[in-house]
Amino acid sequence: MQTTETRLKQVMADVLGLEPAEVSDATSVDSVPEWDSLRHMNLVLALEAEFNVTLSDEQSVQILSYPLIKAVLQEHQVSFSQEA
Amino acid sequence: MCKPDLNAAISRLAGGLTYASYNALANALEAVGQPASDLPALRVAILRNFTIEPMLPVLKGEIALAGFFPELYLADYDVIAQATLDPGSALYRFQPDYIIIAQWLESLAPDLMNRFVSLTPEQVTAEVTRIADLTNEIVLSLRRHTPAPILLNNFPLPAFPALGILDAQAEFYQTQTIQALNLERMRRLRSQRDVFWVDYLSVLARLGAGQNSDERDWQMSRAPLGGHTLIPLGQEYAKFVRALRGKARKCLVLDCDNTLWGGVVGEEGVGGIQLGSTYPGSCYQAFQREILNLHDRGVILAMCSKNNEADVLEVFQTHPDMVLREADFATWQINWDDKASNLARIAQDLNIGLDSLVLADDSAFECGQVRQQLPQIAVIQLSGSPSTYRNRLRTCGYFDTLTLSSEDRERNQMYRAEAQRKHLFEAAGSLEAYLLQLDLIAEIGRVDGLTSARVAQLTQKTNQFNLTTRRYSEGEIQALAGRPDADIFYLRLRDKISDLGLVGVAISRYHGEQTEIDTFLFSCRALGRGAEQALLAQVLNAARQRGSTSVSGWYRPTKKNGQVADFYGRHGFQLTAEDAAGGHWELKLERDRPYPTPKWIRLELHAQEAQHANH
Repeated sequence: MQTTETRLKQVMADVLGLEPAEVSDATSVDSVPEWDSLRHMNLVLALEAEFNVTLSDEQSVQILSYPLIKAVLQEHQVSFSQEA
Repeated sequence: MCKPDLNAAISRLAGGLTYASYNALANALEAVGQPASDLPALRVAILRNFTIEPMLPVLKGEIALAGFFPELYLADYDVIAQATLDPGSALYRFQPDYIIIAQWLESLAPDLMNRFVSLTPEQVTAEVTRIADLTNEIVLSLRRHTPAPILLNNFPLPAFPALGILDAQAEFYQTQTIQALNLERMRRLRSQRDVFWVDYLSVLARLGAGQNSDERDWQMSRAPLGGHTLIPLGQEYAKFVRALRGKARKCLVLDCDNTLWGGVVGEEGVGGIQLGSTYPGSCYQAFQREILNLHDRGVILAMCSKNNEADVLEVFQTHPDMVLREADFATWQINWDDKASNLARIAQDLNIGLDSLVLADDSAFECGQVRQQLPQIAVIQLSGSPSTYRNRLRTCGYFDTLTLSSEDRERNQMYRAEAQRKHLFEAAGSLEAYLLQLDLIAEIGRVDGLTSARVAQLTQKTNQFNLTTRRYSEGEIQALAGRPDADIFYLRLRDKISDLGLVGVAISRYHGEQTEIDTFLFSCRALGRGAEQALLAQVLNAARQRGSTSVSGWYRPTKKNGQVADFYGRHGFQLTAEDAAGGHWELKLERDRPYPTPKWIRLELHAQEAQHANH
């Protein structure tokens, strides 16, 4: 069974054109040049499909880094394990 | 950035069609950057008045799954008319194979969508006319510059009609006005060749539009297609590409137990299986009706089941609630051998490629085995409630085509006739004796308005007996037929058992004393009778009459046309050039001797053809 972290890193890597291993707490709109407004829209849609959630208007514009995405998913009862 | 591994991304997507894996494949394609020999380019221009970008990873991924390298040109937001009017625009310089015009009504006519009640009837009519005119002008100006097929979309009906419950009460309210607008746009473009409608209306109705996330992305980014619609709509566009590029599949192979009916007939007996007018038997009946619909559309049906043949046939012969009949199936393999071998036999029996087959089966084990051993076969793994089965068939799109000819409607009958011929052949002793018994009649003519659709369809669908595998749209066929330096011949074949229909096409291009065979193809079901020799003789004789001294043609090898590698060699042509893309063959024409048709074929020249021959 894949951990939630693994799934999240895979989705971000798929949409942003990275390797999953490259995704870390430091991954953000400022550190990834490919992360433009269109890719951001695709990222929101891919996260909603993968985790079966609907983000609010505010959440969809807030999630500009890996830690922020994690935090917003947690608000939707997506649970992450404590390690990692 | 990741190293591009296209094959890994393609097989990952094939294993699970998620939005993230479409994005991953789109990124891998971008990183690779250019087409390759096994993934030739397919150029799609997109003109749009809304933010269609979120759907593009799906479109690119589906084009790659269909075996092409997508090259996209995306015009700026809402510059459709400008791009089509300027002959020097980037759109025309891009030389697209396909053009997508994606229009969203709320951008095009905000008042019709948002202020409908405030409009007078005259204003509503004026808006409908304005938009229908606009679509018409876009298509006409595109047609002045390019023959590429054009994919338009119809407008979805409002999820929240302007007048609430009153809206459905009269034809002049909002919902029916938009319906009428859809019909009007279609009516005006009906006579245009190669203009197709992508059915947003039914796709979005199926999925439910107007959800919160749709509205969010519309308000924030003018992106009206919600997350749950991106994959089905992207696939819908790709179905057109598949149909126009000869990738439509031909034969549906069905398992029996827990597929055509519920339960296991070998254990529960004919009386014990689930099939009838009440649940869950009704699900299987509905599934069978959908199969019958595909049969009516020309899909060949076959069965492949691990069972005792007698048990299965007893169901067909005695169960009162069976929708499908034994005679609806062209062939079957009902035995205890493994599915992969049986599927290979079915393809061989029908003389079609494995990549023409679709298997529908409930067993995860069998589906997995077939996916692994014969990846060319498309597999529909039926799982979950049987009530979902028929929609799996309805949405798969594997069999979708853009024409429906009388040949399609009668295809299953033809494949059964083929089985009868096999028996006759076995009785006749020799091939020639058999062919003489068949009373073959070949009708040869030049393509006209009645035959151009079928001729284009054959260029799009024929893979095995096809020397150059050039695909033509109906518009291109008609344009070519109108040229003084080209001839498009067709051949119809019938015998005493049945009419095989229009089965052969040859396209000649005349350059002075040289005649070049651009296309030479035959439908597989008509092979083995020497009719291809009759068509070649016609090409050679027509060239002779025009004063040509030689006829030449390419053999362009593909994965599927190996059987015609020595076709020209067998008919006396000499190999004159060879390159990576194939061999060029030439025949010096003999001036005084007409090329003969095999003696067992009676030739009927179409009226206009007989005239040509007399000159």
